[in-house]
Amino acid sequence: MAHKTRASVWPGVTALVVGTIYLIAVLAAEKQALIIGLLVGGIAVVVAATWLGLFADVGKSFTENEDTLDGCAIIAVLAVTAVFHENHFVLLLVITVLLYSVATLGLNIQFGYAGVLNFAGASFFGIGAYTSAVLNSQTTLPHLLVLLIGGLLAALIGCLLLLPVLRTRGHYAAVVTIAFALLLKTFLEVNDVLGGPQGMQVKGMSILGWSFNDNFKIAGIAMSFYMNYFVVSLLLLVGAFVLVRRLERSWIGLNLDALRLDETAASCFGLDIVRWKITAFLIGNFLIGIAGALFGMVGGFVAPNNYTFADSLILVSILLLGGIGNPWGLIVATIIVVVVPEKLQTIQEYRFLLYALMVIAVLLFRPEGLLPRPVRRYFSGWQP
Amino acid sequence: MDAGLFAQYVMNGLMLGMMYALVAVGFTLFFGVLDVIKFSHGDVLTVGAFAALASYVGLQAIGVRSSWLDLVVMIVLSTAAMALLGMVIARYLVMPLRSAPALNTLLITLMLGTVLRECVRLFYPQGANPKPFPALLPRGSIDFGVFNLRFDNVLMLAAGILVIVGIQYLLNRTKLGLAIRAVAQDEETARTMGINFTAIVLITFALGSGLAAFAGVMNGLYYNEINFGIGLYLGVIGFSAAIIGGLGSIYGAILGGFLFAGLQIVGTVLLPFASAYKDVFAFAVVIALMAWRPTGLIQEKISERV
Amino acid sequence: MSALLEARGLSKHFGGVLALDGLDLTVAPNEILGLIGPNGSGKTTFFNVITGIYGADAGQVIFDGNDVTNASGRSVYQSGMSRTFQRSRLSLPLSIFDNIMIGNQKRLNQGLWFNLVKRGNFRRELEENFAAARALVELFEPSLADRLSEPVAGLPMIDRRRIEICRALISSPKLLLLDEPSAGMTHDETAELMNDILLVRARNENLTIIIVEHEMGVIERITNRCVVLNFGRKIAEGPYRTVAADTRVQEAYLGAV
Repeated sequence: MAHKTRASVWPGVTALVVGTIYLIAVLAAEKQALIIGLLVGGIAVVVAATWLGLFADVGKSFTENEDTLDGCAIIAVLAVTAVFHENHFVLLLVITVLLYSVATLGLNIQFGYAGVLNFAGASFFGIGAYTSAVLNSQTTLPHLLVLLIGGLLAALIGCLLLLPVLRTRGHYAAVVTIAFALLLKTFLEVNDVLGGPQGMQVKGMSILGWSFNDNFKIAGIAMSFYMNYFVVSLLLLVGAFVLVRRLERSWIGLNLDALRLDETAASCFGLDIVRWKITAFLIGNFLIGIAGALFGMVGGFVAPNNYTFADSLILVSILLLGGIGNPWGLIVATIIVVVVPEKLQTIQEYRFLLYALMVIAVLLFRPEGLLPRPVRRYFSGWQP
Repeated sequence: MDAGLFAQYVMNGLMLGMMYALVAVGFTLFFGVLDVIKFSHGDVLTVGAFAALASYVGLQAIGVRSSWLDLVVMIVLSTAAMALLGMVIARYLVMPLRSAPALNTLLITLMLGTVLRECVRLFYPQGANPKPFPALLPRGSIDFGVFNLRFDNVLMLAAGILVIVGIQYLLNRTKLGLAIRAVAQDEETARTMGINFTAIVLITFALGSGLAAFAGVMNGLYYNEINFGIGLYLGVIGFSAAIIGGLGSIYGAILGGFLFAGLQIVGTVLLPFASAYKDVFAFAVVIALMAWRPTGLIQEKISERV
Repeated sequence: MSALLEARGLSKHFGGVLALDGLDLTVAPNEILGLIGPNGSGKTTFFNVITGIYGADAGQVIFDGNDVTNASGRSVYQSGMSRTFQRSRLSLPLSIFDNIMIGNQKRLNQGLWFNLVKRGNFRRELEENFAAARALVELFEPSLADRLSEPVAGLPMIDRRRIEICRALISSPKLLLLDEPSAGMTHDETAELMNDILLVRARNENLTIIIVEHEMGVIERITNRCVVLNFGRKIAEGPYRTVAADTRVQEAYLGAV
């Protein structure tokens, strides 16, 4: 087998550095005019880079230097957080991106790999959040355990919802999850036990006596209390990312792809369709639930209005925009989808409309999304 | 339960069933002809209802005071507008994706539904709030004990039945209907028989979307109120009804619609504490039915060839 | 010597159409059986019924001594039957290696712990299977052996058919069902493919093959025996020369003379 010289790590590093600086600029900017300018500039640079073929180089650099560049990405996140260590608003935004990424990674397993439609992602996220709300106020269970329970509950309820329609065509799962999304919201609103339409407070996280909701100092430098949550969220995302990566790069990932692409042929070769769809759905919902449980504690508050069908569609939009099946594409898309409406307050109201239009455009002209999913490589640096 | 109350429930069930059936028939038509799940169908209903409302506002503004004229103009305008919208959707969003996986069409129509819904919410004046819908039908009623039989309900029921019978007639007794059924069965053969495939698809979409507008107007007249989310709600119900009836079968869609309404009524009787529970009950039963009979009560058409 | 596969009175109808009508058919171990007949005679339906895609309405299917009538696709595969499809059914976005591995389900460790945590062990299994897949591909088309990481979507039809056959063979089945493998290929490509099949057969004498074909040259060349179907029933069987000369067979294909 011909030995190829390894692509240089530098295009990838450069892209990361440029991207990080850009992100910091956008997050720091306050004036709407400046933000719009930065966004337009950013789009222009991306378009130019694609046209010049620079993206191909960056892509290759990433695929062949995965471990190094993944590590650099974590450093980049830490750098961003370090710059804003006292800024509550920006840190909350970063945490939101991290946790939405975890949820979308879960959705990706269900939808991107196994092909199981889930239009109630935000509802399961909400189930996790409500678990935090209830357990934190009613019990003294350790909060890390509460996170776990949130995940398990979302997984269990998802399983109950999906089992009846597993042997049917895709659109059944679609309609069942949409119905669930609509009904759960109404159910929460009519049940005062769960706070009704106003919602419930969630007691903040504390681990071994260290309360997460107090600002603190490290070596004399003041830190926003959100730093606590940031660390846990980052760990969660790294864990979820590794899980999804390994899942895809295994026989299980292969099975999921096989059953998504051609169920009939897959069952002729021994694949247990039901088992794998359920497995994918369970793992996916588990991630969504944990992320939701943590998010509930971060925000301190849960209400039915935050976990609607429209919010579920946002998660699906992130998946489609970023590139189904590609975890990195997903994270980039999450950053865009979460950060832009927060900074550009004028479009907040229109975000559902805008994202729906963007997805329509993507589906018509570039269905593989921003970062298309590459062919499976079972280990970084190992190609069949 | 006394007879009067029972009759009231039956009447409610018939009205709801009628509306669900109208929506379900639309879904089944789209699936039948193009193997497409058009998730924006419910939201087309919303737009149709709002279009009718806008026509009414317009008519009021130019001084029209006749309820019947209002009603006729509203129905004609909204139906025509939605038929046009349906054709545009078919031509520019659905047909280009025919070679892509079916999933993409489902997603694109789902997103389109969101676009329609959000446009109503954002751009119709006060669109985020429920809007009163004029009561244009005769208001009288007859009392049979507890049961209050309203004339407008009877009229709507009759109109709905007429429309459904009309659709049946169109599909089974006319050349156009024959062409639609031919295309639904087998596109290639239909084409070789000289049927203009694109034209039939567009007409079918126009038909289904016009139906949605009609259902939207009916909904507005029944509840005297419309809001930007009704289409989503009715769409999910209509789609479920079409599935349990058997996608691809008109009778199935009608059956499914009335079945769902019946389940909601039963749910209201069994679980009177909150109206939300009737829907939970109805959907739970529907999901169980889907598990038991995935192809629907009347056979869904098989479109895969191994 | 008992039959490897036996169909007794097998019937299957779709709505009003009777696709299989009381079909009786036996396949002896190690033989290459040709299954021929005009379009719509039930050949692919026969494959679909015995591999569990469709249920049989009547009759029995005995495979390797076990009754597999109406068994699921999975259990039929586990018991050693493997197939290709009339319409090429590969997973196009996936690599050649991935596609072949899909056929190897019964040999791959599917446990969550193994796949997610024990990566060292997984890697070993991966490399073993990779070597096996590579060897198989090399048999059919050496130029593909170094390209196992390419997506199948970019390959010409003949290579795709080869990959499909590799996918069917990787699990070392007892019975291989080939459904019109030469469809869409030129004469020369077909000849090449048949040579490859004979080569595989030569290396693995335990393999029994049923091949559905329209190209009679292929049937004549590689089969030991033929069964001719018409309207879901067997109308003739025997070596190719014999059935080709049979007037009933000629009528079935060409119409009454």
